[in-house]
Amino acid sequence: MVAWIGSRTVPLSAAIEQVAKLLATSRCPVFSLDSDIHGCRSLIALAERVGATYDHVNGRDLVHEVALHTDIGGFFATATEVRRRADLIVVGGDLPTAHHDLLLSLAASKPDLSGGGRRRWFQINGKAASAGGGRPLRLPKAVEVGSPDYPVDAVLGILRASLAARKASAALANADAFLSAMAKARFPVFVCSHLTDVPSLAMLQGMLADINKTQRATALFLPADDDAWGMVLASTWMTGFPPRTGFSTGSPVYDPWLCDVDRMIAQKEADLHLWVSERDEAPPARRGGPPTIALVRGERPVAGAAATIRIGKAGLDHDGVVYASRIGTLRSVAATTPSDLPSVRTIVSHLQHALTGKDMPC
Amino acid sequence: MLIRLAGGEVVDPVNGLAGRRDVWIKDGVIVDKPVSKRADKTYDVSGCFVMAGAIDIHSHIGGGNVNTARLLLPEQHAAHLRRPLNTPLSNAGWSTFNTGCLYAKMGFTTVVEPAMSPSSALHTHMELADIPIIDKATLAILGNDDFLLSMIRDNASPAMIDDYVAWTVSSSRALGVKVINAGAAAAFKENVRRFSFDDVVPSYGVSSRTIVETLQASVGRLGVPHPLHVHANNLGIAGNATTAAETIRAADGRPLHLAHLQFYGYGTEGKRGFSSEAARLAELVNGNADVTIDVGQVMFGQTVTISSDVTRQYSGMRTANPKKSILIDGDGNGGGIVPYRYRPDYYGSLQWAVGLELFLLINDPWRVFFTTDHPNGAPFTAYPDLFELLMRRDARDAKMAELDQSALELTTLASISREYSLDEIAVMTRAAPAKLLGLDDRGHLGPGAIADIAVYRKGQDVRKMFADAALVFKNGDLVVEDGVVTHYRWGKTLRLNPPPDKGIVRRMQAYHEDRYGLSLDWFTFQETAISRENPFAEVACRS
Ligand SMILES: [Zn+2]
Repeated sequence: MVAWIGSRTVPLSAAIEQVAKLLATSRCPVFSLDSDIHGCRSLIALAERVGATYDHVNGRDLVHEVALHTDIGGFFATATEVRRRADLIVVGGDLPTAHHDLLLSLAASKPDLSGGGRRRWFQINGKAASAGGGRPLRLPKAVEVGSPDYPVDAVLGILRASLAARKASAALANADAFLSAMAKARFPVFVCSHLTDVPSLAMLQGMLADINKTQRATALFLPADDDAWGMVLASTWMTGFPPRTGFSTGSPVYDPWLCDVDRMIAQKEADLHLWVSERDEAPPARRGGPPTIALVRGERPVAGAAATIRIGKAGLDHDGVVYASRIGTLRSVAATTPSDLPSVRTIVSHLQHALTGKDMPC
Repeated sequence: MLIRLAGGEVVDPVNGLAGRRDVWIKDGVIVDKPVSKRADKTYDVSGCFVMAGAIDIHSHIGGGNVNTARLLLPEQHAAHLRRPLNTPLSNAGWSTFNTGCLYAKMGFTTVVEPAMSPSSALHTHMELADIPIIDKATLAILGNDDFLLSMIRDNASPAMIDDYVAWTVSSSRALGVKVINAGAAAAFKENVRRFSFDDVVPSYGVSSRTIVETLQASVGRLGVPHPLHVHANNLGIAGNATTAAETIRAADGRPLHLAHLQFYGYGTEGKRGFSSEAARLAELVNGNADVTIDVGQVMFGQTVTISSDVTRQYSGMRTANPKKSILIDGDGNGGGIVPYRYRPDYYGSLQWAVGLELFLLINDPWRVFFTTDHPNGAPFTAYPDLFELLMRRDARDAKMAELDQSALELTTLASISREYSLDEIAVMTRAAPAKLLGLDDRGHLGPGAIADIAVYRKGQDVRKMFADAALVFKNGDLVVEDGVVTHYRWGKTLRLNPPPDKGIVRRMQAYHEDRYGLSLDWFTFQETAISRENPFAEVACRS
């Protein structure tokens, strides 16, 4: 059983036909995506075909991470290089839970390049960050630097000024220790994620620019969701743009406000919502929203959805390609428990055929 | 399917069959005129030049650094126009799809991405697989990676070095090997800001020269057709012609390719201490038959520089325009993305002239290659303008009149009357690249070559002629008509496949597990990961 129209079980072909009809007649479809690179590629190609606007299921987090790259830029390193070279790691704010293993594995290893040796740890301590999703990670060896009275960006600002003046500020705990560690470090790395809000990221990159005038320092960026970051990469090479991007005019338009899928639904611009989640997150329940098409892994139809189609997950049900923060690039993953559940790409290819009778470009 | 291109003027210097003749295509391959067979389809190409599809040996078209540049600069490539039917995403401003279309409509059918980090080969190949129509290839970057530097430091045997180079080429599916500012990226991580040919990488005690010579020798022993592709030290710095000259001399009678030589053509003369040494370098290239170069011509306007030369990109961050950039310390080389606007001021004018001097003063079109180092000197879409500058002295003179005269006075450009002939263009952009890359099946129009063919309408306007090909065939498929891409096909990524030694695979497994805490399969991939039918085609190593 893989497909439903409403709550009625139907053959897959009937659901495909129904979904294709909804897509073909929609004036302003919106897509919320969560899939591997191949799934995202096929969905973006479909979005072009039907003039849809797309974003990741976790688009609200992603928009800040994209802004870090489009608006700020700066110094970055791969986790692999950090593991081998960083002799000082500074963790700023909370980190996405998904990366705690990566941090713990860094904590358990020693740098072997550049003469090797010891790795020292600091953790920036500030007023709790605004965004959710992260959990404080206690690194037993880390020295806390900062103050519970200031937000993280203010702490970073004080540290930046202190580094420039080579003089510690009395306002922060352990500022002396931090300064002297920075002076000795050959390859200090600041670990950051969007949970370290945008002003902090800007302040951090400003500090790195200062430090790099005379010494080396860089940042390890860890996206809140590796799959979402993979989608950013695929979207960027396919359309030239990260999400939020839409095809309502025929060509891709990147506009984080205009193409905000949640906003488009709330303001009733969207008249059809395609929801794709390999992780089986259900679409948020909305009263009076547009009809929803759900591609999910669960065994039941999504309540209230016009149609539901079951899909498998890359790396579990079928092979796939995903972004992996551990190596800072794409990685091929083999199915751990191969199943007959169709991949997102397979379903989208059926949809493309139903819509155009042609193969899709992805 | 038998296709006949009738009545065109064929420009095919390899086969020496210039002049009016028909070209016949059967099942994607060029054939002799068949005896007593009628064509299934005939195209009247009278009034046109018929050439082999062009080959670009050095253009940054895909991979992590290119994509980061797109991400950094969404404001620079707003999409335009509703797309034509049948070519999805072809109108997206700076996308893989758009890249394939723009190349095809100029008659280019094979393009080499010259800077693939082996550790992110999968990403590069995923992007290349989404570039329609044309064939692609990559060069794998070595020379700042710990494994190689450690081997050189520890006096590893040539056989060990070869095993590692072969494994890298094979597992990353590359067509050749490139070294970028050898040793400098590793040194930069240890805060070394200037790095010349005889400087030594800290912690390894290995000089840039030794790295280049080691890789050059290994590439030769392995029979990799393309000579080591060298991005030399000190790119962009006044006085760096000395570095280029040292590197050329180090070739020592063995094949070596020097990338984007324009960026090394600088002396220290003049009020600003920035002058042209192009004439001296051209003479040196002319006298070293084993050295090939590509130019990396600068053209004016907005672009973005994308380079794995982090040392250079860090110093370029000061002049970023707009003021934002990204610098990545990655495995081996990493990369830097710095947007830049070439202005017709003193510096821009000088760089522009240096490139043209190199093109015009290097005598042998088999050894000077047509590149803008896309997008570093200019986007590849500037090619039609560049063809015109090479083929028309009056076009050069007209442009020179708009530029900074004090800069031009420090060059020989005004005194050069040479104009490239169409035959020379065909050598430089077709025959020579095929030879340099070891691609015997293309670059010419002889029987047995794949039917990669560009047909250009004759006219006085060189720019227009090369901007919009009248017809383009890729493997015999008609893909462009009157400068418009009419349909997609999926080209292949050309690669070498030297069989990896079992010992080196075991060593790489142990190395990755020990140093990264990850099994080797995190860093390698199967062809099926690419998700297109037969995404790769193998090119043979020379025995
Ligand atoms: Zn280049």
